[in-house]
Amino acid sequence: MCATDDAKGLNMSRTLVRWLPAVMVPVLIASVAVAVPLAANAGVNLPTKTPAQVLALAAGEKVVALSGTISQTSSLGLPELPTTGADASAGSALELLTGSHTARVFVDGSTKQRVQVLDRMAERDLVRTGSEVWLYDSKKKTAVHSTLSERPTRSSETEGMISTPDQLAATLLKSVDATTTVSLGSDLRVAERTAYNLVLTPKASETLIGSVSIAVDSQTGLPLSVELFARSQKTPAFSVGFSKLDLATPDASLFVFTPPAGAKVTEKTPKVDSSRPAVPRSDAAKPTVSGTGWDAIVAIPAGAGAAAKGSISLKSSPLFGKLTTSVTGGHLFQTSLVNVFLTDDGRVLAGSVPVAKLQAAAAAK
Amino acid sequence: MSRSEVSALPDTAFRSRPALGLPLLASEISVLFRRRRTWAMLASLALIPVLIALAVRLTSSRPPSGRGPAFLDQVSQNGLFVSFVGLLVSVPLFLPLTVGVVAGDTIAGEASSGTLRYLLIAPAGRTRLLIVKYLATAVFCVAATLSVAIAGALIGAALFPIGPVTLLSGDSIAVGDSIVRSLLIAAYITVSLLGLSAIGLFISTMTDVPVGAMATTIVLSVVSQVLDSLPQLDWLHPWLFSHYWLGFADLLRQPISWDSFGSNALLQCGYIVVFGALAFGRFTTKDILS
Repeated sequence: MCATDDAKGLNMSRTLVRWLPAVMVPVLIASVAVAVPLAANAGVNLPTKTPAQVLALAAGEKVVALSGTISQTSSLGLPELPTTGADASAGSALELLTGSHTARVFVDGSTKQRVQVLDRMAERDLVRTGSEVWLYDSKKKTAVHSTLSERPTRSSETEGMISTPDQLAATLLKSVDATTTVSLGSDLRVAERTAYNLVLTPKASETLIGSVSIAVDSQTGLPLSVELFARSQKTPAFSVGFSKLDLATPDASLFVFTPPAGAKVTEKTPKVDSSRPAVPRSDAAKPTVSGTGWDAIVAIPAGAGAAAKGSISLKSSPLFGKLTTSVTGGHLFQTSLVNVFLTDDGRVLAGSVPVAKLQAAAAAK
Repeated sequence: MSRSEVSALPDTAFRSRPALGLPLLASEISVLFRRRRTWAMLASLALIPVLIALAVRLTSSRPPSGRGPAFLDQVSQNGLFVSFVGLLVSVPLFLPLTVGVVAGDTIAGEASSGTLRYLLIAPAGRTRLLIVKYLATAVFCVAATLSVAIAGALIGAALFPIGPVTLLSGDSIAVGDSIVRSLLIAAYITVSLLGLSAIGLFISTMTDVPVGAMATTIVLSVVSQVLDSLPQLDWLHPWLFSHYWLGFADLLRQPISWDSFGSNALLQCGYIVVFGALAFGRFTTKDILS
């Protein structure tokens, strides 16, 4: 009796030992999965700087060449847009503002640039060498060639493409003035580099933007990531940042683009003005800006060239109904950071302000 | 004393002589590839790119850009794309199907035909048998992926012109480079299937009914892909074994983006270790009655 009990006990312990790896392995994997992100931000302790010194560091940034991977995530409260089917082309411009995107960026000096938006089984490329610009879309098999009239700088816009953290940060830092409080958050680690966390908080209470965090590389001053927070939100409404960064000069062959055989090549004449519907640069009827700083409202009068054309083509798009909500006096395109109010008489008002303020501004005219 | 203890003894006795695993592996692989079922599965996999190529060849109208699977519209201009389309089409269902059949059969098949007892009486040991069975499944993964890739390249070369391949980035690479990329994609897909093989191996140790193990493995591969397509579960997505299955497109960019290759390999390693440990726990403590 006693002997069989012993054998049973031995058998039991052997069984337990055999199952031990099956228990230990998931525990090990779970602990690694928890520990690695925690360790990433721990132990970053940079020499103390004042916000003004970090602003100066960012302003003195002299990175000429880089190659890196950037990730962009937006939760602006927009509906998911169709990426396939008939609506896909109408949605492609806005599509970059929803969901998550990954892009690779290669920069060599101020005139050579390549941005690759990595889509599933597809890619959108922007290749710029000097004033020559190629836009290639692997899904549509189209290549668009254009020549820029003036020599572009690195921070100039890349229309229809993802903007890099440094481009976005440059725009935001330009608007740092008396309406903004600049402070420093705790130091960060972005793309395996240490960075100061510059926090811009609007003083105005009537803006949708809660704060903006910019991670400024401690060595070079290059902005590594930008996060836009809507008022009273814990997670960023929009964030773009490097997940990988290498400051070596990229291979020169990356900036040479020959449209592949079978691609539809179109030539685009240099544009006089930007045809963005919301904020045209130069137009017959100029947009007016009321207010300054973060709660400024841009108003585009009815029949104002490109803007009006944009709003008409927008209204005929099947997406218009999905994206806008009908409010008193017009239609509203609402995101957690920016509201655009399209009045029934054809005017467009846009700003990072609550809807009521846009409606009041529209009624005041 | 239970039977499990009797058969567990050689396990410890032979751990000091690892060379003995190789003949067992060789015999296991030869058994696998002497089966008519294995060849039937490889042949039907090879048929997929052949059907695609014939369909494109026989219809005169070019498919409009952006419709159908990616790369399909390029097949008629460049035969090398048949391989890519074939692999792309087989990854979600056909490859997991065949791998599920082989992996689900590993232990349960022997148990149901009553040969498992004899395998364990022979001086092999349960741990070694498990490893050998897994390696044979991995060899089948390589064979399955290569049969699609090679059949695609051959039929493509026979029916269509061959020339420089346009990558997703718009750059073109020479034929030699494109063959290297095809092999890299085959390697990527083989790695992708290793996690599923480990799951199949574990399920196979749970039952004596091979069809049950096969069906469960295949259903799991579908469930994983369905979960991966639900945006509400995006926190779960990086942990699903099928999450990177279609990420091989990153090998068709210029320069090659190795990120998804690395993440995929790491994820599949995790699945191999977890389900390998589960299979070890189950198989070494199981009473083998048949």
